[in-house]
Amino acid sequence: MMKRITQSRMESMITEKQDMNIKSVVYRAGIMLAFITAASVTGCFFQAAGLETNSAIVYLLAVFLTARFTDGYIFGILASLLAACLFTFLFVDPLFTFSANTHRSMSTFIMMTIAALVTSTLTTHAKQNAIKARGKEAGTKILYTLTNHLTDAEDIHDIAGIATSAISSMLNSHVGCLWFDPNGKPEHHFIQQISPQKQIRREIPDVDALLQRMEGLNTDYDTGPEFCDWPIYGRETLLGIIRVPKEDAKAMNESQIRMLHAMIESTALAMDRFRVTQQRIKFNEEITQERFRVNLLRSISHDLRTPLAGIIGSSEILLNMTAKDDLRHPLVLGIHKDANWLHSLVENILSLTRLQDGRLVLNKQEEAAEEVVGAAIRHISRHYPEYEIAVYVPDELLLVPMDARLIRQVLINLLDNAVKHTILQDEISVSVTKDAEKNCAVFSVRDRGEGIEASELPNIFQMFYTSRVKHSDAQPGIGLGLPICDAVVKAHGGNITAHNRTDGPGAEFVFTLPLEVNDHKSL
Amino acid sequence: MTINLYNAYVLAVEDDRQIRNYISYLLNAEGFKHIVASTGEGALSILVSEPIDLMLLDLGLPDIDGMEIIRKVREWSEMPIIVISARDQDKEKAAALDLGADDYLTKPFSATELFARIRVVLRYLYKQHSGNKVQSILQVGGLQIDLDKRLLYVDGSETHVTPMEYNLLTLFFKNIGKVLTTKQILKEIWGVGYGNDTQALRALMASLRRKIEKNPAKPRYILTEIGVGYRLVDE
Repeated sequence: MMKRITQSRMESMITEKQDMNIKSVVYRAGIMLAFITAASVTGCFFQAAGLETNSAIVYLLAVFLTARFTDGYIFGILASLLAACLFTFLFVDPLFTFSANTHRSMSTFIMMTIAALVTSTLTTHAKQNAIKARGKEAGTKILYTLTNHLTDAEDIHDIAGIATSAISSMLNSHVGCLWFDPNGKPEHHFIQQISPQKQIRREIPDVDALLQRMEGLNTDYDTGPEFCDWPIYGRETLLGIIRVPKEDAKAMNESQIRMLHAMIESTALAMDRFRVTQQRIKFNEEITQERFRVNLLRSISHDLRTPLAGIIGSSEILLNMTAKDDLRHPLVLGIHKDANWLHSLVENILSLTRLQDGRLVLNKQEEAAEEVVGAAIRHISRHYPEYEIAVYVPDELLLVPMDARLIRQVLINLLDNAVKHTILQDEISVSVTKDAEKNCAVFSVRDRGEGIEASELPNIFQMFYTSRVKHSDAQPGIGLGLPICDAVVKAHGGNITAHNRTDGPGAEFVFTLPLEVNDHKSL
Repeated sequence: MTINLYNAYVLAVEDDRQIRNYISYLLNAEGFKHIVASTGEGALSILVSEPIDLMLLDLGLPDIDGMEIIRKVREWSEMPIIVISARDQDKEKAAALDLGADDYLTKPFSATELFARIRVVLRYLYKQHSGNKVQSILQVGGLQIDLDKRLLYVDGSETHVTPMEYNLLTLFFKNIGKVLTTKQILKEIWGVGYGNDTQALRALMASLRRKIEKNPAKPRYILTEIGVGYRLVDE
């Protein structure tokens, strides 16, 4: 019976909230008695007119009407029994007795009872089906309307508002909704429906406690002091909470709970969709910004390059024009050195922007390791003619698939680093070996400098990290050299590491390049 | 007849004023007669009206692609062309050389580098013009080739090389100081059909270096120009 009531409530969406139990029982009993009495009176008229056979039909009609206008089977069945009794009592011989001593009255009573029962149950059943269908339709309609409104929502606040209003009207309650920010932190306010047209913002005294309760939840919902809280789960995280006032939540029936779940589900979908869209927009914005930044850096670097070449060249001319004891000589030398340094910085930035852009296409070919090492040493020797660099390459030619220009740059950067941290006459060496087991070429650059502080080792390949201690006349670094090495080697499917030497002071940088060309994804 | 390299008339094509001034200053200081152009069109009009012997050509010109200028010039002239490019234009360098440019310079370059390149291409040019006299013994540093007997001497002692290695070395001896692209070498040594077998060239180069160099990873004679080719230096 409760179910009937609630379904009719659902049909109208807004119903008076009161205990209808007693009232409706009296009401339905009245209906039943009225119909049966009316049937008895009509039957008497028929009997007076000598048409008493019609009385049975009149009673069946009364049973049918009772079943139609009352809820549930009970009054229908009661009406059937009552009708059968009254018919037997009033219209079957012997009149005004229940004595079933005659076959006729007995069979009439049984037939009447069966006919009345079937009529009442069939009617009630049909009616219930109709109500059920209407209930389902109403539920679908509510969900459809909710989903429809949610689609139009512009932000998460809108979504929460629409969900609150729909669930409030479904439960005829003052439901609240709290939503989480993109980082999974709850807002400090939630909105609550206080009348069909009005929503208010309410503060949550202890958000963290609430969050903790929700996260530790292993039942359907959490019961707080004022509200029962239903979590809104997204695909990955908790997106928000639907708060139903405690007593309304307790009063919910099965179908309302089912409906509530469905509505929360719809809300979760809408919130999720909004989140994803938002994230995509943010991601796209970031990519655009990053690309813009990289392009700017690249075009600035590119534009710096030509005038720097001019400065380097002109300062070189001036340098050759001034004698070593000339006071102007160190000034010109300074210009020349700084311009050279700036130039290598610009080249490094250009390399790095191309690498980081992901647009760098490796021009991998089988190259002789010794040639690339030789080219790198030649470059370093041109800039630091006073340094002697030892080289060890295998006797057998080692062909390594690589982008030779980039690997030369890696070696130049590592050697440059070694030179900067090593005083003249101290050992700097490069070696290449083949690791047959791992099927890779191992390049190693060693110096006899002061080594690397243990605390710096993890950061050494990070961008703009330059805290390695330097000897006094070293050029300042901007820390791009090693990140470039890292990026290039990784792009090749290799690995680069730095550590201190075990055979005395100094640092060693080792990188590997796989000898298999085809089995690396980034190719 | 003695040849004075400095009689050459040089055209420098460079769009950046600073670098143009720099080149101009250097050429002036070395006593080269020269003329400058800042655009490709300007360069082409000078080339048809002036008796230019040598061109320094920046690849990144605002109006015409440097490659196009090389192609046009090569239609009617064998004049030495030295290409000037930025560091990340290795591909263009190799392409320019394959198109017929003689050598390249990477910005920023020093006066020493510029004149080393100019001297090499001019020497090569004048040798071609004057040289009926074929030398039978060629020498670079401690390397000596006897073309008649097909023998190689390294620091005075006869060293055995395979015919391929000998051919390769001779090719370099005929182009002392000049960069040879991988493509050009492959074509010369293996013939036209072997256009892309760079591995064979790397292997041949490695074995030759092991015979003529003290340390093949720190070559003294044949240097590797990464991404471009090789160069035999005589210093």
